[in-house]
Amino acid sequence: MSPIDSTIPYYPVNDFGPLMKGLVIGGVGILHVFLAQFAIGGGMLLWYFERRAQRGDRDARTFVDGYFKVLVLISFVVGALTGVAMWFTTIQVGARTIGLMIDEFHWLWATEWIWFAVEIVAGYAFYRYGPRLADRARLRLLALYAVASWLSLFWINGILSWQLTPGDWLEGGGIWAGFFNASFWPSLVFRTAVATTLAALAGCILINTMDLPRERRAALLRRAARFAAPIAVMPVLALWFLAVLPEDSRSWLLGGSMPMTMFVGVAAGASFLIGAYVVVGLIVQRLYINGATATLLLGLAFGATAAGEFVREGARKPYTVRGVLYSTSIRPTEVAALRAGGATANDPYPLKATYPSEQLTRGAKVERALCDACHTMRGANALVELTRTWTDDQLRLNLAKLQRTKGFMPPFAGNAEDVEALVQLLRWEHRERAAGFAPTSAPEHLAQIARWLDEAGTGPAGATR
Amino acid sequence: MTALWPFDASIESLWLALYLASFALHAVFVSYVAAGTGYTLIAALRGAPDPIAERTRDWLPFMLGAGITAGVGPLLFIQLLYQRRFYTGNLLLGPRWGAVVPALILGFYALYLAKASSRWRRFALGVGLACFAFVAWSWTEIHLVMMDDAAWRAMYGAGTRMYLSLDVVPRLAIWLGAMLALYAMVAAWSAASGERRRLAVLALVGLVASAATAAIQAGTRGALDPAHGWTYVLMLAAAAATVGWAWILRRPDGPGLALATGATTAALLAGAVVREAPRLAMIERGRASASESGGLVVFFVTLAVGVAAITWVIRTVRGAAAT
Repeated sequence: MSPIDSTIPYYPVNDFGPLMKGLVIGGVGILHVFLAQFAIGGGMLLWYFERRAQRGDRDARTFVDGYFKVLVLISFVVGALTGVAMWFTTIQVGARTIGLMIDEFHWLWATEWIWFAVEIVAGYAFYRYGPRLADRARLRLLALYAVASWLSLFWINGILSWQLTPGDWLEGGGIWAGFFNASFWPSLVFRTAVATTLAALAGCILINTMDLPRERRAALLRRAARFAAPIAVMPVLALWFLAVLPEDSRSWLLGGSMPMTMFVGVAAGASFLIGAYVVVGLIVQRLYINGATATLLLGLAFGATAAGEFVREGARKPYTVRGVLYSTSIRPTEVAALRAGGATANDPYPLKATYPSEQLTRGAKVERALCDACHTMRGANALVELTRTWTDDQLRLNLAKLQRTKGFMPPFAGNAEDVEALVQLLRWEHRERAAGFAPTSAPEHLAQIARWLDEAGTGPAGATR
Repeated sequence: MTALWPFDASIESLWLALYLASFALHAVFVSYVAAGTGYTLIAALRGAPDPIAERTRDWLPFMLGAGITAGVGPLLFIQLLYQRRFYTGNLLLGPRWGAVVPALILGFYALYLAKASSRWRRFALGVGLACFAFVAWSWTEIHLVMMDDAAWRAMYGAGTRMYLSLDVVPRLAIWLGAMLALYAMVAAWSAASGERRRLAVLALVGLVASAATAAIQAGTRGALDPAHGWTYVLMLAAAAATVGWAWILRRPDGPGLALATGATTAALLAGAVVREAPRLAMIERGRASASESGGLVVFFVTLAVGVAAITWVIRTVRGAAAT
């Protein structure tokens, strides 16, 4: 049978060495989100400064033309291409997830593409011809750029937030129920506030490079700082976002999972520091912000963005699309069949490495099919380290009742032989792949594992919504 | 019901039409970039003043940006038409395939550097050309990997990241010839009479190279796939384009350019269908999640608004461009 013909899609799995796949997509994703949001806020900031320029503020015009060059050189190049990279990376990490998203939302994704194209054309037109255009045309072009870039965010935001809170879409509510889901509006307002803040901080850096007397730079800085003011409402937006999250996801963010809670703390702490400086220092006390401080704040904003994206990704566990697709790229409805037939019975792809026994080979295939999306064997989030101190029976129990062991893990999508093969593989790895390794499995172990699998059931630990 | 092969009333047919149209648009921009970078590099190496090269160098970063933006369209629709094949091809080629992104970023900045610095121009254009050649080769490669499912298991098991098939070479050669013709077509509209002659030579070389390679390939296989007549449309359009370019050689300001442009565009569209013909049977039909998805009306309304907005932008800056 060709790999193309299987009922459940099986894709070749790539190994990124010590990097877990989440780190790979996280690295690309955070950079892309940061640059894209900078471009969106940049459009609004430039329109505002252009309006000021046309009311007699000559420095504002100089700022607009200088800022736009930076926007084009950074955002139009690295920002646009990391967007393409996001698709390629998502395919590497979760081909079935991106396939499902494309299937469900392709017309809206194509709509987002149209706005992105308008943004790019308006942006390049302004970059190239802006200095030669009449005031009215300049302002309109910048308005078109700002609106198109924000609409690009609008459309992509609905697709991304659907992954976390698909809501009534799960009950057949249709595409709009999925698009305007519970986290759509808080997420959209939150990202818009982040976008204006990033643009303002980047603007402050650029203003400090302008060859102007200090007082004229200070005047521009005060204007730019206003665009960072929305960060003051971040706590309210964050609470709104938390309120619409599914209960289990919220509980992990609020102490149920310490790494997640710490990332929430990093995002909140960094945002608070930026907000306090902007509101108290720049807006109320009208302090002068130099390039170094603005760069530091932008660095903090990058940290907050990174932590926020980690939280958003992590809150979806054990799903990549809540209620529809587990992080293992297996649908909840497919688990029962895989319990009966085995996790890798239809996997057409061979292993790249060789193993000393058939059981260890099977274990390696099970690890690739069910664990590899979020774990490595010995690198980041290493299975060997997570399970090193577990006894053999503990290994069997915890894997068989995986969704009960940790609520953010999916149910084990294989049979008793698969669990035992994975247990033996981990024992072998714990013993540094010893040459004389002897498996300890026995028929009574398989019977016990089968009972545990039945007790755990095939559903997730938490609610599907 | 088949109205005009390969198009019918199915949703897959609409995806295919949008895929082909956006692919053709993407091809125009990237051809300008790839062939234009090559042309400007040669001009820079020669060192003699060349207005075509100067204009091209000025436009290259924008054209690359437009090419990448236009490329998102076919990248979206290919995931609907050949989802499993495209994803498998991506995964098999792995990080080697993913390298097209850093290559494009490097190429992008190289074009800006070539525009800004005469000192670094040759080096930057050389780097840019190498990057774009790598991307063109990678796309050709993944196209073939996607279709060769019989090779997937062995390729994965061996950990091979390259698809070393001889088919890559003629396929790439046909594209490189077509790229020369497409570059000449776009560049000629802003060229003076004498410059148009040079571009006409370039286009004719490209058309002959493409046609000769395609003929050799068909001869080697011993068969020509008529693709329900689209191959003949392609041949006819290419012949008309050749006449148009030959006419430009004699009368650069005559109607040859309009003929060459119309015929080259027709050849591009027909060529896109012919290119697609061998894998049309591989289209993954019947995925309910995709075929029943909503939002089509929103897309077409936005498409109309977007086209109007882009038209307005072009009209707005046209006056400024003239000054």
